[in-house]
Amino acid sequence: MPKTTTSKKDPYFIDFPKRIKDIQAEMGNEGIDVYLGSRLRTLSWTLDAFCPWRSYIVIPPQGLPTAVTFVIDAARVADDSWLDEEHVLGYGPMGGQDQITVLYNLINPYLKYDVGVIGIESGMGTYLPEGHITQYEYECLKAALPRATFRNAHDIVDRLSLIKDEGTINRFREASRIVDIGHREVYKFITNGGYRGITETEIAGLAAYVMRKAGSEWEWSFTGGNEIASGYRTGLAAGGCTPASRKGLKPGEPLMVDLHAMFKLALGDYAHNYLLGPATKRQKWHAKNFVDLVKLCLKTYRPGISPSELADEMLDFCEERGFAEYMVPGFEHGIGMMGDEWRIGLNDGPFPYWTNPDHKYQAGEMIICAMQYACPEENIGFRYENPILITESGCEAMSKFPLAIEEI
Amino acid sequence: MATQKFKYLSPEWAEEVIKRVNEKLTPERMKHITSSMLTINTSCPDGKDRAIYYEIVDGVVTELSIREGEFPKAEFTITADYQLFAKISRAELKARAALMSGKMKLKGPLVKALRLSPLVDRLNEVIATIPTEY
Repeated sequence: MPKTTTSKKDPYFIDFPKRIKDIQAEMGNEGIDVYLGSRLRTLSWTLDAFCPWRSYIVIPPQGLPTAVTFVIDAARVADDSWLDEEHVLGYGPMGGQDQITVLYNLINPYLKYDVGVIGIESGMGTYLPEGHITQYEYECLKAALPRATFRNAHDIVDRLSLIKDEGTINRFREASRIVDIGHREVYKFITNGGYRGITETEIAGLAAYVMRKAGSEWEWSFTGGNEIASGYRTGLAAGGCTPASRKGLKPGEPLMVDLHAMFKLALGDYAHNYLLGPATKRQKWHAKNFVDLVKLCLKTYRPGISPSELADEMLDFCEERGFAEYMVPGFEHGIGMMGDEWRIGLNDGPFPYWTNPDHKYQAGEMIICAMQYACPEENIGFRYENPILITESGCEAMSKFPLAIEEI
Repeated sequence: MATQKFKYLSPEWAEEVIKRVNEKLTPERMKHITSSMLTINTSCPDGKDRAIYYEIVDGVVTELSIREGEFPKAEFTITADYQLFAKISRAELKARAALMSGKMKLKGPLVKALRLSPLVDRLNEVIATIPTEY
């Protein structure tokens, strides 16, 4: 990946120094002397670099932050990030260079006489690579800095990253454009009987190749990259996670193609569905239900509506049409730069670290409009996912691939 | 004729080190690096801590001095017990192994340190050739 852009004319420009200053202003307001970020979402949002290894960012009250990552990847992170190599340090299994010692050396100068407040990122998540501070890290740092106060402060980054800036939005648009290229190629490949004799993994690989050729950095999802399901796998109960398997595609079965592309840490995510012919009347009935629901859902997203209000409207429609029992009663998940994938908004709902169902969407927020239809007894199901931007009057769907469930 | 032995961490020893290092390690062999390094030997036989301060400019060791009391700042600070440094100076132990065991502590940017570690090995190999009394 080339060094991050600093030109404001670049459509993908993000003002990272401003992000750091905004965090520092919030730290000042909350009496935090130094901030220790460890979540993947915080690292992506502040560094503009993908950090696959356990990494940290230490943000002082003023001036540049310092990132810390596994030494084998520190030079690459420095190369990708807007920070220079003086501000991206490596840690490793050597005396004085383990994570805790390096963090201690970075944090301690900002505590007066060892006393002060350290902002940390603690919590839990459904998302495996979330990156909250571990108990072991916390205990070691607490032992090294016994007079300091540790305060959970991830709300600062969550609050600041909620409304997306233009550069971030443009990166998402580009990631979605790339995903659409992947879908077009998959469509070309599987039509006219092309699907016969191939497996789900082959579709995932074909899409990965064309999307990478178009500029995608990675099929980013921790759910196994491009998710492909066919036949009974499309209809697994509440089955919102289908890493591609070696199952072969067969006539008469449904096929779900959920592609992921990453562009400058922005995430493309579009799921499209097919019926591998010949399709039965009943399969077509299921398909029409789903497409109509997606259309309605996309029309309904707007500022001021909440996830629970939207779910109520959608489930009423499902009930009227007689397919409510097949719907997973959720219609979105959160999205942001790499690592920010599940919870929407702040941690202010009735269940800690889950989306607040009464969160009111605002213009400038992004989510993945996501729906899962599953009928296990008939071995059929569908998925829709598309990054959407909440606008002043509704929403912008980022992927433009035509919404339909074709019989091929 | 008996070989002259230098007392480890004495000014004479330091003079001999800088002489041999600059004779045997060309700026090319030292990759024209510019850096500074402080190796703090704790618990010397007289109970004091002593450090060797290296200043390297464009691959040439321009300063090598023995320090006591308040130590100067350097890009890399390496701290270990006197006996451990003695083992390294006698080429009985590699600095990398001492670091990996945690017995030796390094302060400074690790990425650059790893890049420079072969040069430090070269430096230590030259130091090991000096007849030294510990």
